[in-house]
Amino acid sequence: MILEMKNISKYFGPVKALDEVNFTVSEAEIHGLLGENGAGKSTLMNILGGALAPSEGQIFIDGQLIEDMTIHKSNALGIKFIHQELNLVNDLMVYENLFLGQELTNRAGMLDRKTMVLRSKNVLERIKVDIDPEELVSTLEPSRKQLIEIARALLFDSKLIIMDEPTTALTNKEIEILFEIMRSLKSHGLSIIFISHKMPELFAICEKYTILRDGKFIDTGNFKDIDEQKATNLLVGRSIVDNQQAKLKVTTPVVMKVSGLTSKGFFEDINFELREGEVLAITGLHGDGRGELSECLFGARRVDAGTVTVHDKRLNLGNIRDVMRAGIGMVPRNRKERSIIKDMSILNNLSIAFFVAKHNKFFIDKKEEVERFNRNQKITDIRAGNIDDDITSMSGGNQQKVIVSRWLELDSNIYILDNPTQGIDVGAKFEIYKLIGELASRGKSVIIFSSEFMEIYKVANRCLVMYEGRVNAELFHEQLTELNVMYYATGSNKEGINAKNTKQLT
Amino acid sequence: MQKTPSNLLKNLTWEKVWGLFGKYSYVVSFLGLLLIATLINPLYFSYANLSTLLLQASIKGIIALGMAMLIICGMIDLSVGSIVALVAGLGVVVLNYTGNPWLTLLFCMAFGALLGSINGLLVAFGRIAPFIVTLATMSAYRSIIVQIGQGGPFNVDSEILPWFRMIAAGNVWGIPNLALIFIVIMIIVGIVMSRTKFGRYVYAVGSNEQAARLAGINVNMIKIMCFTITGLLAGISSFLLMSRLTSITAPNAGTQFELDAIAGVAIGGIAMTGGRGMIAGSFMGALMVQMIEGVLIAARIPPFLNGLVKGIIIIFTVLLQRRKANN
Repeated sequence: MILEMKNISKYFGPVKALDEVNFTVSEAEIHGLLGENGAGKSTLMNILGGALAPSEGQIFIDGQLIEDMTIHKSNALGIKFIHQELNLVNDLMVYENLFLGQELTNRAGMLDRKTMVLRSKNVLERIKVDIDPEELVSTLEPSRKQLIEIARALLFDSKLIIMDEPTTALTNKEIEILFEIMRSLKSHGLSIIFISHKMPELFAICEKYTILRDGKFIDTGNFKDIDEQKATNLLVGRSIVDNQQAKLKVTTPVVMKVSGLTSKGFFEDINFELREGEVLAITGLHGDGRGELSECLFGARRVDAGTVTVHDKRLNLGNIRDVMRAGIGMVPRNRKERSIIKDMSILNNLSIAFFVAKHNKFFIDKKEEVERFNRNQKITDIRAGNIDDDITSMSGGNQQKVIVSRWLELDSNIYILDNPTQGIDVGAKFEIYKLIGELASRGKSVIIFSSEFMEIYKVANRCLVMYEGRVNAELFHEQLTELNVMYYATGSNKEGINAKNTKQLT
Repeated sequence: MQKTPSNLLKNLTWEKVWGLFGKYSYVVSFLGLLLIATLINPLYFSYANLSTLLLQASIKGIIALGMAMLIICGMIDLSVGSIVALVAGLGVVVLNYTGNPWLTLLFCMAFGALLGSINGLLVAFGRIAPFIVTLATMSAYRSIIVQIGQGGPFNVDSEILPWFRMIAAGNVWGIPNLALIFIVIMIIVGIVMSRTKFGRYVYAVGSNEQAARLAGINVNMIKIMCFTITGLLAGISSFLLMSRLTSITAPNAGTQFELDAIAGVAIGGIAMTGGRGMIAGSFMGALMVQMIEGVLIAARIPPFLNGLVKGIIIIFTVLLQRRKANN
């Protein structure tokens, strides 16, 4: 199949997620799609998969214009999308999941279990996965679930497979098998779009690349003509501004000390110290227990062992309000689910944490609330129409600024920011980075949980890399390279293979 | 630019009209219903009629105010009718024993609050859906009072009855006591919900429980408080019902109060998904539920169909809310 996407644009309200992007994939080609988070990769692929309609632009398949792409149409054309999140029904068996929505029936209209199990067995053998088709999906490990997703794409006749970060949950051995499968698919004439953040993988498996940045098409070409440095530069675009503040080694007094913190099943024995005015990043890959750690530090999740002390006073981790009063504020991840109170106005959304921690009067004073908003608007540059409008009327970046203000208003000494730039536009991102710098220079300490290397590089003095629920490495700013972070995040040091070997897997 | 009516109309975009309608939908529906009632019975729109309406709506209306709070919080209470039966039944016993109305009122409020808090504790700490918990207690509370009364009624003693019934039957300057009490409670609940931190938290929990928790709000406490307040209001309601009926039959007292309360909340423009709505809306909603009964009688529609009409209204308003949310 030859795919051509021409001049694709997509607007979400005022936000331009894609701006006249061109994207071409030839037959029997493994094509790497690169871009930072928020660059527009997912949007582009969702348009191809029919889940989103483009605002402008056209899709051609084998030279033919495809109009009004729907999920159904895209499926029928042989385009299969393997999502990063698992879309399996846990309470069904493996084969039932594989055939979900496309069940085979016999002449009487009853489910043809035998044939489905047999075909499932064949496809699982083909990808060298030892899973019984009649096993319940809920009993499988996450990495095996990911392989089932891949098997599903192979079960039916596909011509183009989109793989959105398929390797994040896989072990090195499984990645090796996946690459073998991809190569064999290619030899059968299939095309694959491979989305990944891991440079070594991209260079190992893909021939062509296309780079997106901030919703715009940047470059396309052959991997053999570039190296990792060049790719990274194209990816990031701006030359990285030297943040002098982040380069400093912080030697101020310790404000927070975490000892032996454990939450069973998520993370174990976490130890670190945080200094005054320091920006500490904590990073890792999906499933490293980082998200749970951030919640525990804020008292939002049960801790099994360990202590956190702030200024040598032990924190009561069982109660969020106590943690807030001890001078810790937190901007949670997943703004939509964890921060935004969608039925409330911009003003009320900003005030809510202040009420909990600092407001002692019986009645709410609207005038005070407005003053509070105006004060924060100056600091975080919130762009709002009417402050009594619902918060959902704002763009994602502005919403996040309101949420950040919610916590600034508490004047905490320590800020925990969990993925604070998720789903916001580049301009707002940089404003948040600037704000982090300002907080640090005012002597506030910041812990930022992030999976974006560039973000960490821009703001952090120090970075902890987590792997399987433990801190695997502590990197100071001068040791921060994408390769280094990835090396420890994938636990390569523990498997006795170094990053170069991962590259040589092929 | 001249301020001509046509210019004003131009500025009044459909979006604005729709927005205003969304916020004050209950006023629009109230006026609509009033129009219908007046068309059927031209004498409907009179002081006597409207004050009777308030009086009739008050006992269930007080419960609707608590229900509004619960639904804004994302919860629901199906047991309010049974709470009324249990509290009123035992309330009569207390009244007959003590002969003191204040003590009886205090008992009703405290006992109602206790029954409500049991619902709240089960929802918050048992982590059971409110609809399941209160379905169970609806059955349980009713069963207790039917057993105590052995199926028979609880009658207010004949020497207490003459003055005790005047609580519900009396009036101040021509305004029925019941109507006054209803309005006063509406104002108090309205202020709590719009002007206090507690009210703000109720909205926050109903809109996004997770975000509310991560902002430091004690979500369990808010839920328990909402159930307790609803129980307390049902207790006040029970006391007024005792005075109005002077005889409480355990199997029947307060039946379908939950339906009327929920219907009132729904027509009152409060989002059934939580997080949105005004107490004034549930007040108007409770009046409207009462009006509908009157309109059905005036229109000679058999009263047996009351339930059908209320059922349709609940479904219809929720569908309308959904459409609005999707827009």
